[in-house]
Amino acid sequence: MVKYIKLMSTLFFTLALVACNEEFPIDEDGLLITTRTQCYVSNFEMLGSDFQTVRTKAAVIDTVAQTVNVEVAYGTDLKNLYPQFSLVTDAKLDPKITGKVDFSDLANPKKYTVVSGNRKIKKEYTLNVTVQKL
Amino acid sequence: MKIMNYKLLSCLPLLSLVLLMSACEDEQYAVPTLPQELRNDVIKRTLGPNLVGLNIEFAYGIAIPKSLGKLVSAEVEASIAGAEATYLDNKSYSTNGSGQDVGVDVGSKSVNSGNKTTVTFTKDTIAATLRYFYRIPASAKGKEVSFTFSAKASNGQTVSYKMGPYKIAEMDMVLDLAVKDNDAAYISIEDMAVYGPAAAATNAAKIDLVYLYRVVPNVTFLHALVAPSAKTYLPGVTLPAGVSKSAKINKVWALRDFHLARLQYGIYIDDVDFQQLDLSGSPDFAINLKAESGAWVETADGKYRAYIYVNSIDNTTKSAKISIKRYTMK
Repeated sequence: MVKYIKLMSTLFFTLALVACNEEFPIDEDGLLITTRTQCYVSNFEMLGSDFQTVRTKAAVIDTVAQTVNVEVAYGTDLKNLYPQFSLVTDAKLDPKITGKVDFSDLANPKKYTVVSGNRKIKKEYTLNVTVQKL
Repeated sequence: MKIMNYKLLSCLPLLSLVLLMSACEDEQYAVPTLPQELRNDVIKRTLGPNLVGLNIEFAYGIAIPKSLGKLVSAEVEASIAGAEATYLDNKSYSTNGSGQDVGVDVGSKSVNSGNKTTVTFTKDTIAATLRYFYRIPASAKGKEVSFTFSAKASNGQTVSYKMGPYKIAEMDMVLDLAVKDNDAAYISIEDMAVYGPAAAATNAAKIDLVYLYRVVPNVTFLHALVAPSAKTYLPGVTLPAGVSKSAKINKVWALRDFHLARLQYGIYIDDVDFQQLDLSGSPDFAINLKAESGAWVETADGKYRAYIYVNSIDNTTKSAKISIKRYTMK
């Protein structure tokens, strides 16, 4: 009996040690850092203050030039827009989008950086917003 | 180890027996004894904020054992007298197999006297559920109102039930205003009314929004609410003299307030929504408004906040039907 107990406790101890040694690295946002190196924007959406799309057509994403070109409808309230980026798996966006964004300064397009899953590759995308002409 | 196991085992039958015995001691079901007295109960049937001009509806149930007598009268006393349309239904309702409420006359039509509304039973009735409709009077705006339901039986017993207090909203509401491009197009939030060009000129200081319908090539403009200050979005509109105010407008989708839309959606805009509304940074125009959409509006002086709901639109007649809830800021 004592033999069994000894064996069992040794087994548990070993298991516990193994569990503690496993590394799951996380970044400053508590997100898992993975081995993925892909770093691009896969889709883009722009919503108005009523959470309906304001795009007139699909946004053009150029992953080489690192630009997102989007045309918004005539009469869009540019000060209260919600941009939505879809990114490749495990990537994240900097700065984070936490609410309404003011795009009224069309001459100075906003820039967003995509950070890859391994957090080592960073690509800065320029978001060019144009308003549909009359 | 073995000895301990044996001891434990020997205890088991005894334990099981004790458990079995206690489990068998089930309490006998007894039919509840009917209290030998007049009894009552009330439920509130309406939901959402209580607006002036709308009803607060209750169902008042009363019953007395047949051996004791019958119902004589039912009465509701409101802390603030209801508007003229307040009444206590003289029918007792039950629901039939198809889910329809079927009413049976049990008394004379209710009589309003001051704060009290009374129904006198004319049929031999021992149990009834009467509906009470309290039409909220303008005098109750912003106040609290409570109700005392009471009933009398032929044996002299009385019974009563208190409900409330219920807060009456500060909001004002107007339904189904018809707006038409280049005609009844000038909306005043202060008056909660729509004016034509001539009337708009005489009420120029009160005009907050202009309704227009435009078909612009390559652009979706259609039905729009635009403040007179946003000239860019008023193509082909000649504003009446003096109409030049600004306003803040924020388009909203799928906010179909139950009072304004009268559809199946249980969404209610209440005073608190207007109090917490932040329209800073909102534009002074909203184009491409669709049916069942809406817009939050704040007047230029910040005195009024409103929600304008678009009930319906008509592209051929270039018109729309709108309903407004408005809150006066303090």
